[in-house]
Formats: sequence, structure tokens, C-alpha cells
Amino acid sequence: MSTVDIATTPSGSQRSVETLVSKLRRRQVVGSRDAALETVLVLRQVVSKARFSNIDQLVAIIRSVGRRLVDAQPKEHSVGNTVRKVLHHIREEYNTASKGTAASSSKVTYTISNFVLQGQPRKQTVAPKSEAIITLKENDPDDPDSFSRALKPVLMEAIQDVLDELETVYDNVSKNAKDHIHSDEIILTIGHSRTVESFLKQAAHYRSYTVIVAETGPSYKGHEMAQSLSAAGISTFLVPDSSIYAIMSRVNKVIIGAHAILANGGMFAITGSLLAATAARVHSTPVVVCAGQFKFTPLWNLYHDFGALDFADPSSVLGFEEGSLVDNVDVLNPYYDYVGPELVDVFITNDGDHPPSSVYRLIKESYDDDDHEL
Amino acid sequence: MASGESSKFNLHATYLKNLQNHEISPPLAAILSLSELVVNSGAGTMFELVKELHEGAEVLKKSTTNPISLNAGCELFIAFVTLFPHESDSFAELKSELMRQGQKYAREAISYRDKIAELTLGFIKDDSVILTHSYSRVVMKALLHAHKTKRISVYVTEARPRGLGIKTYEELTAAGIPCTVVLDSAVAYVMDKVDFVLVGSEAVVESGGLINAVGSSQIAIIAKASNKPFYALAESYKFHRLFPLSQYDLPTHNPNILSFRSPQITAAQGSASGVSPDNQTPAINDISTFMTPAISSSRTMSADQIVCNPDVDYTRPNLISLVFSDVGTLTPEAISQYLVAMFAG
Repeated sequence: MSTVDIATTPSGSQRSVETLVSKLRRRQVVGSRDAALETVLVLRQVVSKARFSNIDQLVAIIRSVGRRLVDAQPKEHSVGNTVRKVLHHIREEYNTASKGTAASSSKVTYTISNFVLQGQPRKQTVAPKSEAIITLKENDPDDPDSFSRALKPVLMEAIQDVLDELETVYDNVSKNAKDHIHSDEIILTIGHSRTVESFLKQAAHYRSYTVIVAETGPSYKGHEMAQSLSAAGISTFLVPDSSIYAIMSRVNKVIIGAHAILANGGMFAITGSLLAATAARVHSTPVVVCAGQFKFTPLWNLYHDFGALDFADPSSVLGFEEGSLVDNVDVLNPYYDYVGPELVDVFITNDGDHPPSSVYRLIKESYDDDDHEL
Repeated sequence: MASGESSKFNLHATYLKNLQNHEISPPLAAILSLSELVVNSGAGTMFELVKELHEGAEVLKKSTTNPISLNAGCELFIAFVTLFPHESDSFAELKSELMRQGQKYAREAISYRDKIAELTLGFIKDDSVILTHSYSRVVMKALLHAHKTKRISVYVTEARPRGLGIKTYEELTAAGIPCTVVLDSAVAYVMDKVDFVLVGSEAVVESGGLINAVGSSQIAIIAKASNKPFYALAESYKFHRLFPLSQYDLPTHNPNILSFRSPQITAAQGSASGVSPDNQTPAINDISTFMTPAISSSRTMSADQIVCNPDVDYTRPNLISLVFSDVGTLTPEAISQYLVAMFAG
């Protein structure tokens, strides 16, 4: 795969890759959506500048860029997801486009193992966007650029689709907010998830309800959330994290955001989410997670890894003003909790509401299997 | 049908011959034997061929007391044959093509255990303590594969009455994996020390549940109660279109199992009048004549008592965390989806 190196991508796009790599590394780009957006923009530039004469070269270029971005910040899962999504769309466009030239070149042979694979979830074939059939000539020795020239407009359109999805993600998630929140309900939330924020504000147009925000130490993102919600005219209470359990008996629904959603239906979410979800389980309170589908990550087993969690600056837990203590204790400040699939009732995404058990299927549908390892 | 008669005899012999190979499990042996049946059959049309295959499957099924996994293989092959596109010039050619497909699949399928072992590796962290049940070839492969790169220790249940856990113990110890045999009744005692449970399977069924050596279900229940993951390993040819709602829906269940004997029956000449309605098959009386008082006094189960016990049990899908198969890591829901798409699609 490394026959096509990053070096073959022109310097302009290489520079933009480098910039994003260092931004990710320095944590100047944080948050799944921002990271995903930046990734699409870089990929768009890479594809538009890339020189390739067949699809494999293009895929190799994108993968090598993707690998660099993922290595720069492996815990920002949406970067890898976006790369996979772009690859998936590009392959799809290529397949529809090449159908006109090489008719059924890849005919599936009928064997028992393929018969078994029929059971695999597949995306319903989408009607091709480009009605006009383009003639594709792969590996044309006379004019090596002809392939990329013909394919690029379609590819750009495909990447634009990914971008559009990301840009409209909040609107699409909150589209049906009023069906999930009823009048006079009491909602508990934690952290400051943009998705949840827009979801709650959207519902406030139709319903009057109360939100209890846990302050979410040690980052205290809950403060911002409470401020923003009450500014939007929603009746809001701010409570300390330690009272989540006590308050749960009065809560009708727990609505939280996610950082990354794994294939088993579990998720990484801001610290405190596990506490809230477990307390909700005890009281049989529904736990609703709002998240865009770009957070779906084709991984199963991260929960074994303590290191899979992200750790934040410990100074917010124990500052240097506690000088005498600092030398004597180790301070950890994990930024995310792993919340298992059994604690989540539903994921509300930009493309429908899904139970944790069907996340694996959505992942199979939106990414290609060979891209799971970039 | 004369040709059918002659191949019937061959079929069972072929099946047994295929089973001789230790890598070949019953479903694969069934697929291999059925594909040989295809070329040996005198059927002139697809309809006749499929009918003959069904009869062959029936013969194989009758030849064994535990036909579950064998059935899964037969069903897979027959469904495949039914849907196979007719592109060959002659029917004879089609038949030999079908046989080639069957044999090709069996060759491929042997490597599935390695695939599953590789998949399982990602879920085994260093220093894991694993509980397994009885003996399973695919679990052995997974454990031995994990042993190459990670430190693991294994508890294995004895798995009475066949005691196959001892076989697992011997093979693991020979490979240098720390291993201890625990009583089937000590599973709850050991569960707190265990990181996860890993079992093989006889079949995985449409509900997403699992059919495996008896005892798996109770292990799964205990694992669930102590919040430990319960993983099952299953090659895709063990996907079986069956929807048991309880233990007693399994094809292996018969009136003998769990039947009550009247005290008199142990005195050899018990009349059937006083026993429960289930307990009327003549087989029971035949077996009970083997039983001598000496055996029952030695405080182990007599053959007669063992007959009243099941070989396999059904584990409900809500107790299973994940199923690893050659087609990927699957949730129990995914299994049912696979089965529906394969056989109903």
C-alpha cells in the first residue's frame, strides 16, 4: 500500500495536511465535529490536487493522509471515521461511474462462503447522482491524467456530500426533538454537548420543560450549558455532580451527548456520563444519546484499554496551590467515560433513531470493511 | 429409487470417514458427504436432486443422537444448491460443479478457526483470566493463539458426564498455559476471579442464542449476574435456522430427558403403569437392565441416570455479549439478521 507515498501528493495539499496534523497534535482542534470538518476540508484539497491514473492510487493517497491524521490524534475518532466515510463515498462513485465503461467487470462468483456473506448488512443501493455516464480510462499510458480529470468532478461532489452532512448535523439531530421531549418533563443532562444543546433548544420552541444540568467537574462545562439554555428561555437548574443519583427519581429522561460511539453500541462520553447512566438505570429512567453518525467508530473492544480513555490536565483536580499534597498523590483526570450499550436506550442521530444493538449495522453500511484499519 | 438406495449406504460411511479428520467438524463433514451425494445421485432434475439431498440429510440426522450442528451444515448446503444459478451445459456438469463448491468451501472453512482466533485476540488483554467450558476446537485455537502474544490463565469446567474439560486441561497445560479444572458446580465460586467467559458452540440460532455443551446456559447466567462478558465462538457454518423458545424446544430433547422414574422401576421389572406419561418409551427399560446395584452405590451417576440428562443446552441471546465468527464480530441481533438474509432472502 505504501507504494504511493505522501510525497506524490503535491506540496500545496501536503502543507494543509501538515497544518492539520500539528493542530490536532497541539489540541487546537478539539471536539468530534470540528475535527471531522477539518478532516473533510483537508481531504477535499488532497483529492483536488492529487494526481492518479487509477482508483487504487487515489485510495492509497487518501489512506496515507488518513493514517497521518489518525496517528496525530488517535483519540479523536471522528477523524478516522471521516476518512473512512470519504473512501466509501469515493468507491461508490467510482463504481457507478465505471459501470458504463467496464460492464460488470467484478462479477461476484457464487460460492458457499459468498452465500453466507449474503447475510451481511448492506446499504440499499442509492440512485447514482451523476446521470451522465463518464468514460473512464484507467492507466492510460498516453494521458495518465485523463482518469482523474474525468472522475474528479464526481469525487468533489461526493466529498461535498460528506461535508454537507457534517454541516447540517445539529439541525438533523434536533429535527424531531419535540417528539422526544414532552411538556412539563424534567430532563437531566451533563457536560456541554453542542448536539444536545441544539436538541434541547429546538424542543423548547414547542414545549415548556425543565432541564437539570450537572455541573460536570472538573471541567465545569455544565456551567456553560446551563447559561446557554437559560439564555434561550428554558427553565434550568444547575446541580453538583454528586447529587445526580439523589435527583434521578424526579427526572423523566437523561439526554447526553457522545464523543465516539463504538460498534457494540457502547460509547465514550464526557466524565460523569457513566454515573448519570448508571443512576438512570437504577430508576429505569430512559437514557437518550444525541449524536451525529460521524461519531460511529468501527471498533469493538476499546473498553479493555484504560489508555483508550483520554486524560485531561490534572491541575483542575488538584492545583499547585495545594503544594504539600501535589508531591504525595498521583492525580488523574480522565476526560471520558466508557458507557456500555446496556446503559443506553436510544441513539438519536442525524439519520433516524437507533437502539445500541443496531449500531454495528449502521457502521457496516457506512464504511467499507477493508478501511477499518487505515 | 434404486440409485437412492445405493447412495444412502455410502452417505453415512462417507460422513464417518470425513469425521475422521480432526479438523473437520460435523457440519463440514455433512457438507462434504452431501456434495459427494450430489455426484453419485441419479437425479435428472433439480427437484429430484434437492429431494434426494433432503433424504440424505434425514439419513445423517437419524444416525446420531445430537444432530444439531450436522443439521446446520445440511441446511446450508441444501439452501446453497437450491439457489445455485444454472449456468452449466448439462445437469451432470452442474452436479460436479456443486461438488467442487462443497469441497472448496470445506477447504476454506478449515481456516475459519484461525480467523476467529485472530478476532478473539483483540478482546483478550494481557494477564486475562478466562473461563471456558468443556472442549471446543475453536476455543482451543483461540487460546493457543492468544498464548503466543499474551499472558493468559484458564479455568476450565470439568463438563460432566463426558469430562471433556480434562481434555482441554491437558492440551492447554501441554502448551504451557496455566490451567485449572473446576467443578461444574463451582462456576459461581470462580466467576469473580474471571475476566470473561469464552465458549465454543454447537450452533448459533436465529434468536441470536447459542446451543452448546450442557452447562453453558448456567455459566452465561452466572456471568451475567456478575457482569462478566460472555463470548461465544462460532464458525459461520454453525449458523442454524432454529428458533428455540426454551430448553425443551431443542431437537435433542426427548421424553427420556428429565423423566421421573418410579422407585419400583429400579427394581428392574417396573411396569409402565405407575410412571409419568413421558416415561413410556421401551428404551428406558432396556437401559435399566444394564444397571447394577453396585454402580449406584458408588455415588457416581449410572448410565441410566445419565440418559435422563441433556447433552446440550440453549443459552438465551440476552446473556451473550458477542459472537466471534469468521464473518466478523457479531452481536446476537446480528446473528439473527444473518440467518434471515441467508435463508429467507
